[in-house]
Amino acid sequence: MLASLNWLKEYVEITDTPDVLADKLTRAGTPVEVITYLGEGLNGVVTGKVAEIEHHPDADKLWVCSIDVGTGELLQILTGAQNVTKGVIVPVAVVGSQLPSGMKLKKAKMRGMDSYGMLCSASELGLDAKLLLPEQREGILLLAEDTPIGVDIKEVLGLDDVVYDFDLTANRGDCFNMIGLAREVAAVTGANLKMPSMEVKETAAGDANEMAKVEIKATDLCSRFAIRVLKNIKIKESPSWMQRRLRACGVRPISNVVDVTNYVMLELGQPMHAYDYDKVAEHKLIVRRAENEEKLVTLDEQQRTLNDSMIVIGDAMHAVGLGGVMGGLETEVTGTTVNVMLEAATFDGVSIRRTSRALGLRSEASSRFERGVDTVLTWNALNRAANLLESMEACETVPGIVDAYPVPYVPAIVKVSPEAINSRIGIAITKEEMVATLEKLQFGVQEEGAELVVTAPTWRPDVTCDADISEEICRIHGLDNIESHLPCLDVTKGGQHIIYDVQDSIKDYMVAVGMNEVINYSFIHPSAFDKIGLAADDARRKAIDIMNPITDDFKVMRTTLVPGMLANVAYNVARQNTKVATFEVGRIYFADKLPLSGFPTEKPMLCMALCGKRNELNWNEGREDVDFYDAKGIVEGLLNNLQLQDWKFTVGSAPYLHPGKSCSIEYNGMSIGYFGEVHPAVQNAYGLPQAAYLFELEIEPLVAAATHVPQYMHLPKFPGTSRDIAVVVPTEIAMSELVEVINANAGELLQAVKVFDVYTGKQVAEGCKSMAFNLTFQANDRTLTDDEIDIVIKKVVDAVGETFKAKLRD
Amino acid sequence: MREKLQALKEQALQDLETVTSLEALKNLKVQYLGKKGSLTEILRGMGALSAEERPKIGQIVNELRAELEGKIEEHTKVLEEKALADKLANEKVDITLPGRAPKIGHLHPITLTMREIKKIFMRMGFDVNEGPEIENDYYNFEALNLPKDHPARDMQDSFYITEEYLLRTHTSPVQARTMQNKGGNEPVRMIAPGRVYRRDYDATHSPMFHQVEGLVIDKGISMADLKGTLELFLKEMFGSNVKVRLRPSFFPFTEPSAEVDISCVICGGKGCRVCKNSGWLEILGSGMVHPNVLTMSGYDPQQVSGFAFGMGVERIAMLKYGIDDLRLFFENDLRFIRQFK
Repeated sequence: MLASLNWLKEYVEITDTPDVLADKLTRAGTPVEVITYLGEGLNGVVTGKVAEIEHHPDADKLWVCSIDVGTGELLQILTGAQNVTKGVIVPVAVVGSQLPSGMKLKKAKMRGMDSYGMLCSASELGLDAKLLLPEQREGILLLAEDTPIGVDIKEVLGLDDVVYDFDLTANRGDCFNMIGLAREVAAVTGANLKMPSMEVKETAAGDANEMAKVEIKATDLCSRFAIRVLKNIKIKESPSWMQRRLRACGVRPISNVVDVTNYVMLELGQPMHAYDYDKVAEHKLIVRRAENEEKLVTLDEQQRTLNDSMIVIGDAMHAVGLGGVMGGLETEVTGTTVNVMLEAATFDGVSIRRTSRALGLRSEASSRFERGVDTVLTWNALNRAANLLESMEACETVPGIVDAYPVPYVPAIVKVSPEAINSRIGIAITKEEMVATLEKLQFGVQEEGAELVVTAPTWRPDVTCDADISEEICRIHGLDNIESHLPCLDVTKGGQHIIYDVQDSIKDYMVAVGMNEVINYSFIHPSAFDKIGLAADDARRKAIDIMNPITDDFKVMRTTLVPGMLANVAYNVARQNTKVATFEVGRIYFADKLPLSGFPTEKPMLCMALCGKRNELNWNEGREDVDFYDAKGIVEGLLNNLQLQDWKFTVGSAPYLHPGKSCSIEYNGMSIGYFGEVHPAVQNAYGLPQAAYLFELEIEPLVAAATHVPQYMHLPKFPGTSRDIAVVVPTEIAMSELVEVINANAGELLQAVKVFDVYTGKQVAEGCKSMAFNLTFQANDRTLTDDEIDIVIKKVVDAVGETFKAKLRD
Repeated sequence: MREKLQALKEQALQDLETVTSLEALKNLKVQYLGKKGSLTEILRGMGALSAEERPKIGQIVNELRAELEGKIEEHTKVLEEKALADKLANEKVDITLPGRAPKIGHLHPITLTMREIKKIFMRMGFDVNEGPEIENDYYNFEALNLPKDHPARDMQDSFYITEEYLLRTHTSPVQARTMQNKGGNEPVRMIAPGRVYRRDYDATHSPMFHQVEGLVIDKGISMADLKGTLELFLKEMFGSNVKVRLRPSFFPFTEPSAEVDISCVICGGKGCRVCKNSGWLEILGSGMVHPNVLTMSGYDPQQVSGFAFGMGVERIAMLKYGIDDLRLFFENDLRFIRQFK
């Protein structure tokens, strides 16, 4: 809401500077977002009369003017504008003056003749073309005939003003007008509020209630509908003071009747509409719901198709306006209009909001109805509008107001205790101060013992309970004046649920092993399921749909973090990242049944992606690509770090992984995740130039082990000893099979088996590989001798040889 | 014999002078003092000496041996020191070459910010609660005093799954859930971090972002407590020099409501582009829990009161790290993420 300070001063005295007042209002809950100083940079431009005008002798398009700027001396000024004639009054930028563009006027020469200044157009003065009459937008701005000569143009055009742009909260519909704002100013500065005159002469003959009828059929959508009848309308430009104020508040002046309806809306907050009385069938206005598919051509000459949730104003024949949103073209007030019906009504905000959204029609009127308009003040608006038009000698008012008001509004009456208010806010102010604050805001207050009985003004339907009263006291008292205090609460343990601790430690581990955290959107494009190669009946395809997605990319809730991770890899590879190592911890969403009929399952997951080089480019580090075992190492490290025991990697995994280079993680008899190389088809679908590795893991099954407290084991007192063996076995034998046999035969002295070499090539037979193991032995009670180890090693070697037809390698 | 010994001594000392390597010194020691060395050779002639002469010569020999050993040792030390000095002089690395970097990753700036917020409140004894991201109408709106026709419930502002279920538009539903779990009689002190969703997508709006909600309920909680708690939090978060301002505002679930501003962390309150020359930055919304909200979740507003607050994590992260584009948070560009520690 824009508000001119000069206009506000008509209702309330303002002594503070614009900055100080804006701050006071902001701190009291009427926030001023922007302060605009109109006419900033405009200095020394005055009004002047064109005394003489003639063609430049050497230029067809130039005019030479003699301008009277009231100094007793005529100024010779040249202009190229073609709308200047003898006798008009125009803005004159004299030598030494300054324009908002930063231009400083100097004497100039044009085609051999001197020019002592410049005649100005509206845009050169910094006026917004949108807010001007069409004829004011082109050429030099011609001022009203009665404009005095030699005065500062800022005064004439209202550019000596300051405009506040208020960012009002949704509950304060009462502040969307000058009076409401003046009331706030009065409350924060202590000044008195002066109301404008609403006196109506009613000089026309007849009785409005006989000349016109109103009826509310849709009483749920309209609580009040009232009109006045005005006769002998003289349509003309509205006075310049009114145009100035409208412009300052961002409204374009049009003609007196329309300007007055807009002016009253800005002044009192009541949107109004004027109908051509003689074009309304039977002079009757009916408020009803639109018929479905009913058509109406609105003021902007658009044909609108309506439905039965919209409010229509109809005459005896058909629709003549969209209530509270926009009038109809047919009954528009035009230059030939003689009699007018002026409407002030209260429409339901929810219906107005939906209608204006549905039709893409938001107006000053609709936005006021959305926030709520004071039902009781309908008459004030009609009277004020008639008063203004009468004072402009633009009409004669027919006595009486035609009013339909089926259920009168009853303001809330709230009983409050000053003590409770003080304790809620944490202040100690007296009952008297509270009464004074509320009365300043025009609440009715009666004392009843220690309590106050407060009646909310009709423009404050948002006030319904004692908490609302406490807010009024609190905001006028000033939040800055509340002394801060820390709550005195019992000591509690505080902290987060164990599952979030586990997530934190997963993140810390991932970062420690070089992974970078990403955050992807929770919704994905459903085509991602095809891209990662899920089977038609895969449970992950049963994703929860969003009814109103913002784009197709955000259409379904993710059932796997994989698509997001692969997209991240593709994004970063495309940006010359030679090493992509990322992870995300986030939820996936599964419904037991679709469409959703209960809360779905939200499962926290970890997903990791690895692609490209193992190391950043460096002089002393290898440039190998990451492989399956990089991914596996990170997985094993994580599971160890989370103190999981007895997990197993088993063959068979997810459709988006390479079947021969991936596996499933089994724990407590369940599969809790997968990892491995991305399936070549999926790699291709995401446009990845090389192999990538993925790891997806459920987090909930990890929680139980995470609370395990490690128990200390004695350090060995006697030295251990180690032996290496190398065996040649057929290629298809897995390392784990060998280790199993070694473990089974080495006895209790064996502490650890480590594989330290795997070799295939010329040194071994085709179809075979050599595996070398390091076996560590240890006893708790003695130093082991070579002889006893020799016996064990022989047993192990024999067993391995027998089981796998393996040969011991020299 | 004495002459021989004298000559040997002189010769040995002379030879010692010329020795420049540890190797040669070792040879010299063997040459004179070894089992087959010159001194041993002379000693072999001791048998021919008289019993009287023998101890005297023996003493001379022992002295000579000790002297030579001492000198050789001395010389060894000198040569060893020289060798070390030579070694140090010749061994050098290029200290400007980069080291072998340990692989360390980076947390997302949202996680870093979230952790900091959580840490501050956990120190004050707050619980951290999370709730579902797919919420129902009751918890997301109804229980927060957002009546059926409230503009915030319009389809265009929220992502709906069905008429009844939607993606939560704020973390506030966790307030209602927490109060309900406490059964309406226990005090509450909690924060609720998490993802939230709104139907807005442009340069300054993301359809998904993060919030942290806070709620305190007990007997006698006041607006002054709210102010104290949030001032403490903001000074921990942004430094003790930061100034805090409360402005009356409006939220359906609190009454009175206040917008909380901090003095601009970019310009220190002088006025700049980020604070739109106001010197203040809007940082969180807060207020005293609306009596209707307390009642709906089983608390008696005559007995207890409380305050609630909510903040956008992206906004705080942007101010803290000087990030000027919201979209960076979800593009997941590694060049962005690697900047945060």
